[in-house]
Amino acid sequence: MVDVVKEQNGDHLTVRINGSIEESVDFEKLIGEPPKKLTINTKGVSRINSVGVKAWIKYFQNAASKGTELTFVECSTAIVEQINLISNFTCGGRVESIFVPFTSEDDNSELVGLFKVDDLIKMNFEIPPLKNPKTGGKAVFDDIPEEYFGFLMKDS
Amino acid sequence: MPKKLILISDRAEDLTFGQSVAEEVGVALEQKASIPDAITAIQGTEEPIIFIDVEENSTFKQFEDAIGQTFGIYSEKINPNAIHVISNQELPQAKEVLLSPVFGSFISRKYQDPSIAGKRYGMLVKSSTQERAFGTERFFSSSANVQTVNFQSTAQKQNGVEAVKNFLIQAQFKTRMATVIANAVDELIMNAMFDAPVDELGKQIYQSTPRNKVFELKDKSQVEMKVAYDSQYVGITAIDHWGSLDKERLLKHISKRYQDEEYQVKTTSAGAGIGLATIFRSGGSFFFVSDKGARTEVTTFFKKTNNFREFKDQFRFISTQFYF
Repeated sequence: MVDVVKEQNGDHLTVRINGSIEESVDFEKLIGEPPKKLTINTKGVSRINSVGVKAWIKYFQNAASKGTELTFVECSTAIVEQINLISNFTCGGRVESIFVPFTSEDDNSELVGLFKVDDLIKMNFEIPPLKNPKTGGKAVFDDIPEEYFGFLMKDS
Repeated sequence: MPKKLILISDRAEDLTFGQSVAEEVGVALEQKASIPDAITAIQGTEEPIIFIDVEENSTFKQFEDAIGQTFGIYSEKINPNAIHVISNQELPQAKEVLLSPVFGSFISRKYQDPSIAGKRYGMLVKSSTQERAFGTERFFSSSANVQTVNFQSTAQKQNGVEAVKNFLIQAQFKTRMATVIANAVDELIMNAMFDAPVDELGKQIYQSTPRNKVFELKDKSQVEMKVAYDSQYVGITAIDHWGSLDKERLLKHISKRYQDEEYQVKTTSAGAGIGLATIFRSGGSFFFVSDKGARTEVTTFFKKTNNFREFKDQFRFISTQFYF
């Protein structure tokens, strides 16, 4: 189940999507008529299934075709995976920032770090370790760089 | 003419893998470096199990042609269920191979450890030598924990998915792995509920029915899920009683790649057609068993790993067993 928190600022709408995007999602109902500028924050999206992907592309493709400027921010790992799997997942929109997965070397816990895509490109996708706030230990990037950053490497 | 595993490959890692499979199945292995030599060996073997190294699609075409000329493509001697392709190729590159009438299974050569991978894959091959390869339990040791869930309504799918995810987290899978596996369960159960039911002409009954439609699952429409875990692998099976799985359609879907071409939203079907391909790309393996008109079991396997990188890069395969 999904819930959406909306924040309107003139002709700019920011939506925060939370939960699992699956067959019950109705973006027309949750977001409404696409505005001129739409920022989509998916920090809270834990999972998206195939029917959710279809609903997503249908809604955002329609929005883009009507001239809506789409910006995706704080993309969760679940959303980044889809961006990499489906070439038109962002429907021509701009990805501003993504969460990057890390695994802590001392307690094997999972962490995420938020990165602007411009910074990732500048770093040449060489991700420095994070500090695990609980243990003080080192957490390292935990995915295959060519796959997780594939959509950025293709464009850069 | 005893049962035999014929390996058409000169790679050392394929030999180790094949030996491990043969040991698990309980048959002898015969290694052949060329297709003509393999054809001779096949002629002298009852129910041959064939593993072939396919680096380029043309190799498999040569094999298919040799089979056609010697036995006939649809000869009883050749059972596609017993033909296993080993390749370094990505699935979309091997699409031609997958759509060959003699294709049965695809094994990605990223074995990690060929001996361990062979032992696990051997359990599937052993199962495929039986009259019907049904039964999740056959792919796990007797100490594995196997749970069965019967779905009475389509509304229960999401609860089933969340239950599997919670079980995996309790079993100390990382959250991201558990989420990937939960997504796989979601796709398999949704397929069993909405894609498997067909009418007398084989047309999908719920093709255009929204996937959030709630209806009862009774009689032939019953859907069952089995979750097996042996501390190394988790296997989840979705079972339906239609036996309507179309091999060609399935393999076309699973080998589809949307990284280079755009995904087009089709309004004629309520399904999305991308679920299985996504599971495979995320690290999952598949075992499809379908007895036409009677039953289909689709099992997805995932290895538990220490980190997500290994999880995504794990040994994987797609194996099909179709009975007509």
